Amino acid sequence: MNSRRVGVERIFSWSALEEKTRVGILVSVFLLVAISPAIGQSTESGWDIAESSVDSDLNAAAVYGNEIWAFGDGGLMLSSSDEGMTWSTVSSTTTANFISADSAYESMAVLDSTGSVLIKQGQDADWVNIGTPSEGMTDLVLIGEESLILVGDEGAIWKYSASNWLKIETQFTQNLNDVSFLDENNGIACGEDGTILFTDNGGTSWDSRESPLGATSSNLVSVSYYSRVRMFAVSSNGEILASISEGAQNWYLVEIESEGYSTSLNMTLTSIEVVSGSKILFSGPDNYLGFSKDGGNKVEHNLIPEGVDTSFNDHAMINAFKGIVVGDKGVILFTDNSGENDQVGYEIPDYNNFGEFVEYADDMMLDGFKATVKIVGFGIIFGFLIGVILAMLKTAPTNLKGLVEGRPNVIIRIIGGGLIVIGINLFWNGLSGFSELGLDGIEYIFTPVGDSRGFAKFGLGIAFTLLGLLFLSNNGKFSKMKIGRLTLNPWKIRPLNWIATLYTDFFRNTPLIVQFMFIHFGLSLGMEIQDAYESSFGAIGTDGFDYWLLGESAFISAIFTLGLNSGAYQCETIRGAIAAIPSGQMEAGRSIGLTYMGTMKLVIMPQAIRICIPPIGNEMVNLVLNSSLAMVIGYAELSRQGRLIIAWTFQIFWAWGLVMISYFVVTWTLALLLRRLEEKTKIPGLGITGGG
Amino acid sequence: MPEVVLSIRDLEKTYPGGVQAVRGVSFDVHQGESVAIIGSSGSGKSTVLRCINRLIEPTGGVIELVGTQINTPKANVNEIRSRIGMVFQSFELFAHLKVLENVTLGLRHVRGMSKSEADKVAMEVLERVDLLERVDAYPGNLSGGQKQRVAIARALAMKPEVILFDEPTSALDPELIGSVLKTIRGLADEGMTMIIVTHEINFARDVADRIVYLDHGLVAEEGPSSIINNPKTERMQRFLASMNEEH
Repeated sequence: MNSRRVGVERIFSWSALEEKTRVGILVSVFLLVAISPAIGQSTESGWDIAESSVDSDLNAAAVYGNEIWAFGDGGLMLSSSDEGMTWSTVSSTTTANFISADSAYESMAVLDSTGSVLIKQGQDADWVNIGTPSEGMTDLVLIGEESLILVGDEGAIWKYSASNWLKIETQFTQNLNDVSFLDENNGIACGEDGTILFTDNGGTSWDSRESPLGATSSNLVSVSYYSRVRMFAVSSNGEILASISEGAQNWYLVEIESEGYSTSLNMTLTSIEVVSGSKILFSGPDNYLGFSKDGGNKVEHNLIPEGVDTSFNDHAMINAFKGIVVGDKGVILFTDNSGENDQVGYEIPDYNNFGEFVEYADDMMLDGFKATVKIVGFGIIFGFLIGVILAMLKTAPTNLKGLVEGRPNVIIRIIGGGLIVIGINLFWNGLSGFSELGLDGIEYIFTPVGDSRGFAKFGLGIAFTLLGLLFLSNNGKFSKMKIGRLTLNPWKIRPLNWIATLYTDFFRNTPLIVQFMFIHFGLSLGMEIQDAYESSFGAIGTDGFDYWLLGESAFISAIFTLGLNSGAYQCETIRGAIAAIPSGQMEAGRSIGLTYMGTMKLVIMPQAIRICIPPIGNEMVNLVLNSSLAMVIGYAELSRQGRLIIAWTFQIFWAWGLVMISYFVVTWTLALLLRRLEEKTKIPGLGITGGG
Repeated sequence: MPEVVLSIRDLEKTYPGGVQAVRGVSFDVHQGESVAIIGSSGSGKSTVLRCINRLIEPTGGVIELVGTQINTPKANVNEIRSRIGMVFQSFELFAHLKVLENVTLGLRHVRGMSKSEADKVAMEVLERVDLLERVDAYPGNLSGGQKQRVAIARALAMKPEVILFDEPTSALDPELIGSVLKTIRGLADEGMTMIIVTHEINFARDVADRIVYLDHGLVAEEGPSSIINNPKTERMQRFLASMNEEH
């Protein structure tokens, strides 16, 4: 086969497979899909339809004693005494459209669109019209048995107390939409242009509160003053504002995790109902009802019963679970679980049943599998690069003689003198720090940890001084040194080789698990890299490629640890392969005028890499197996997922069995790919291959 | 007399450990001349050859290529080597590259030619060594003689001022030697400047313009190829006699 294939196709090509193999693969995939069980579970709405027997728009609702009331267009009043299931109309004295209702202090009040207020004081009492202070009112709130606050367009605020209407003069002119009071004194009103007003004297005077950045032009349609430190408001474009400061200070926009940390639900909202410190119900047009248990971080969009087509206007909740919501065209829905979607058909799984165990475990296994493949992929690339670089350093022939030879002796001696000065300086600098560590005797072995900078200076100082002395003594003869019976030739020292040897010795003589913990927890390498990235390229965000690559600090630390460690081992393998290439190949490369690096790159490495594919494959398989240690730094790869599955299901044998099979799949696939790579890159006449 | 391409004066090489392989060798190679270096094993033939393109660093003496000394630390060794071709005893073809790529490697990465230019030059030299039909083969699939001709083509492609042959036929089966010798003879006829280290006494006599006989790191006898028929020194007589016994 002479056709050239590129990229992945060089290793794997569907069309190159035999027909037998292709059919086999297709059949296996089909069987796997066919036998995987169908899931019979579904989700249903947590709301039920109540029979209201009216079709006017219902705009407001309130809980009054053991009754629930709903108010709508044309003076429509409905009441229910069985928690919202059945409703009856109540005769009304007006035909205006009711727009707002409130009940508190054993009174209930409603506001109609003409600005008239009706009040009912006691279950059996009649509705009493207490006047029409002004048109254009939008919301009312009771702040006492016989006192209430009205807010309306152009900043209008009216207070009713002691049978008198009083217009509250303020400097605010924005249209106000909603008002909510915690008690007789403390209240919040909200409106257009992010307006938030606060009072602590029963509405006699109002102060403005700063709207959070990003919501300064939002139309705040609903507010709830739930407790001294829990206040929520929503805007018509779906933003949730919250404050947890006394006096309604410091409003902020809730980042909605379930909407990808956006600050908007991307839904038009008309109203919120806060039923506990963090449980919020949302309503809006186009059949929208929402629900959050955690102050808006995660918002579930409620399913709506079939046949409902409305715009929801107001909730009335008896307690944190039971209540109703009303909407246009006479729609009333009731619930006993605050509207949360019901999961129908879910059973408590029996993890002693292997099928159900796998049902639970397979998603977690798959996540772990992907995570493992991800670190292994990067680890292999990284480890191989480091291995190649180290192997090149180790085989580099550059020695001190080569560096010095051919350069004027004066310059070498001047450099030598300079090195001695720098070296001694560094040496003392480092050494003086050691005494402050308070170490004694053999404890000095720990100085690299206690004073790493000092230790580096100390080491470099010694190296520079010795090198400087050698350079200074240079007379062009590069002769050996005799120290007693020992004969040394310092000119033969290969600095690159030394550096690589130091590196590999260190990484091969410390446990991988300790390297993981030192690099991730000790050096915080993952976090450092994230910080460095964020400071130069901006925030990583929560999706996209940069998040995938850098979003998790444990992942970054893990690929570095695996790569650095594997590189140290791969280096020896690659070095062996380089050594196996006949020295004549280097001579031949050099004889046509290639440089050392050019010959390495074009002649030696291409052959050496081919030779070392099998042993490098071993190292790579080792890397996959070693990746399980990444669990100690909290990376959610296969082994850690196995532990989590056990924590949930207690099925130790099955869980570890699944983990083992998953590892086998990864390593075996890798081995197959490498075998194929070896075949594809085989060159006639290079090495003994046993045929072919 | 044509100009001197290569001049070697008092060449010395002492290996680390004290072995004196070359002890003051001097000779000149003129333009278009082919010089055969003969001598018994260990006489320093290969060392002299490798000193010329500095695969071995000489420890003493002067080597001049077209009047410029090349064994100084300042000389650009890669540039010098690209002007001196070398053919090895064991071919040393690049096993992972096809025949054509073996020849073009130096042209592209040393001379900086484009692929098409290099291919053109390579095809010309491969035609000269009569290997046009094997350009897409890997060295592993060639016979020894073909390999050595590829190696010659690789050296020729760089248009060197002199080519060094290091026992080019020693690793070949007797029946394959002919094609390589024919190729070298062809080059000599075309006026290529060559230095050939060889054990093929008859070939040396036929092809070489001049013979340098080395013994124990010294030039024991030097002269036109006719000295093989009438050696003056006793050592060379003994050497030639031993060679004849073998054949």
